[in-house]
Amino acid sequence: MFIDVNANVGHWPFKKLRYNTCASLLRRMNQFGVDVSVVANMNGVFYKNTQSANEELYDEIRSDKAFSRRFVPFAIINPVYAGWRDDFHTCIKKMGMKGVRLHPLYHDYDVTEAPVIELVKMARDFDVPVAFTMRMVDSRQRSWMDLLKESTVKDYIPIMKEVPDAKYLLLNICNGTGLTNEERAVLNKTNYMFDTSGRSIDVVRDFLKNFGKDRFAFGTHAPILDYLSGMLRIEYLNNDEVTAEEKEMLRSGNARKLLKI
Amino acid sequence: MNRRNFVKNTAASISGLVLSLGSGSHSANAQTKQSSGAARAKFDVMKEALKYRKLDAHAHAHLGIDVTAKDFEFMERFNIERSFVSNPLSAGSANPEQFRRHNDLVFSAMQKYPGRMIGMFTLNPQYRKESIDEIQRNVDRGMVGLKVYYQYKINDPLFYPIIEKMIDLKMITLMHAEATLGTGGYRMKYDKKRMPNTSVPEDFIDIAKRYPEAMFQYAHTGGGPDWEYACKALKHSPNVWVDTGGSNNEEYMIDFAIKELGIDRLLYATDLSHSYFQGLGKILCSQTTEEQKRKIFFKNYNSILKKSGNHVH
Repeated sequence: MFIDVNANVGHWPFKKLRYNTCASLLRRMNQFGVDVSVVANMNGVFYKNTQSANEELYDEIRSDKAFSRRFVPFAIINPVYAGWRDDFHTCIKKMGMKGVRLHPLYHDYDVTEAPVIELVKMARDFDVPVAFTMRMVDSRQRSWMDLLKESTVKDYIPIMKEVPDAKYLLLNICNGTGLTNEERAVLNKTNYMFDTSGRSIDVVRDFLKNFGKDRFAFGTHAPILDYLSGMLRIEYLNNDEVTAEEKEMLRSGNARKLLKI
Repeated sequence: MNRRNFVKNTAASISGLVLSLGSGSHSANAQTKQSSGAARAKFDVMKEALKYRKLDAHAHAHLGIDVTAKDFEFMERFNIERSFVSNPLSAGSANPEQFRRHNDLVFSAMQKYPGRMIGMFTLNPQYRKESIDEIQRNVDRGMVGLKVYYQYKINDPLFYPIIEKMIDLKMITLMHAEATLGTGGYRMKYDKKRMPNTSVPEDFIDIAKRYPEAMFQYAHTGGGPDWEYACKALKHSPNVWVDTGGSNNEEYMIDFAIKELGIDRLLYATDLSHSYFQGLGKILCSQTTEEQKRKIFFKNYNSILKKSGNHVH
């Protein structure tokens, strides 16, 4: 079975997206045999008040019983916007969301600002992951109104150092994984996981060897990236590279452990 | 635990996913309804990937240490029959000594992987005679097309004699291309201060109109350019093919390209070692028929090769 830890619904303001509703994403999942998707509402990248996006996602998932069986919602929280603590509690405690996604570049804050550290500690205390995305879109074909900057794993080491006992999802690894020894030591002390959607993951066995087979989970970055590249990175692995059990962990087992589902 | 039991147990433990929204609990709340675990059995992405014969219309050889061996491994694992490899000059003056050396590297890959890696020669049109001579030298040793970079734009008059030679040979000219803000003349108010002679779609339109009998390949529509812009721009240039290579694998890229360009002008490609998954993924998940996929993966490029007698049987 497949659990996609990196899916989205909602709009991207600079380009028409397809498969960006729960209904169309579910059809995509059925077409390609994906059982469950962790989903956030991209509108929250652009709304100043991100809670409106979380409410939209909550309402959309509640609109069809099939959605609540197949989607694991994550909240987008902006920790430098008024009311974020209430938003967090509402999303996690009342709406049943299973994690948070942060967008430091779009929401324009540094990951070591005090509210960010506080939010990550709250996520830790509720035992839910905090997800960072290296980029939402490829900046080479960005809109002139979009960000020029992208991020790398290195950019999130400072918050991992501040809160090493939180759970982290590092999504769409597209700009390499180069780290100093000190940064790598910080990473190794945390409970982190990469998804398989990012272009940096080329010779997959090298990444599994370098970081560990328990550090990767299937992800698509849908509907921005194509639906199958993240799956191919797992399915092309042969028996010399992973056992059947290990492949199943990459498909869903590692995600289940992280998400506790 | 054997694999069958492992999978069975895994599926059973997660059945009835996922949660009760609004439950007031932050712990997982498994429900009793079955999730569609059966759906996965219906789709095997590797079976789909291996189903199609493939010609990689834009690949490279010896751009880095040991990269070519990795490329060949990907070719083997993804059933890519032939990769059309080049080693263009991306730095330095690109003088004849340099482009000959780069072409020799490509030839060494052809020798190491005979019949699998097929060479595309490079040159610098600034050196007219040496470039024409270099074309013939490489055609004589089995190379089948031209790959050029950003020393000059594809519509620069320096390219005219080169293009005319390629017309005589009935071979395609593959040019690095971008439609990136602030590059090569595209919206230079965002000037990125790089590669001013990079070819943009308008340059292809210009040269394709001047030489309608020539064949041009707009490189890697997934390699950085705004692919919607590129495809819309090239819509009315029937002698410009677009390769789908590059590391950017945005959803709907292939469907959009077909809508704008038609199915016959799209060529499967990877471009670099870190793009094999994306090269396949973006096509396999498109809303194309099997016959359309066969065209993109194999037939379209083979038709181009057939004009010079270098096609695959």
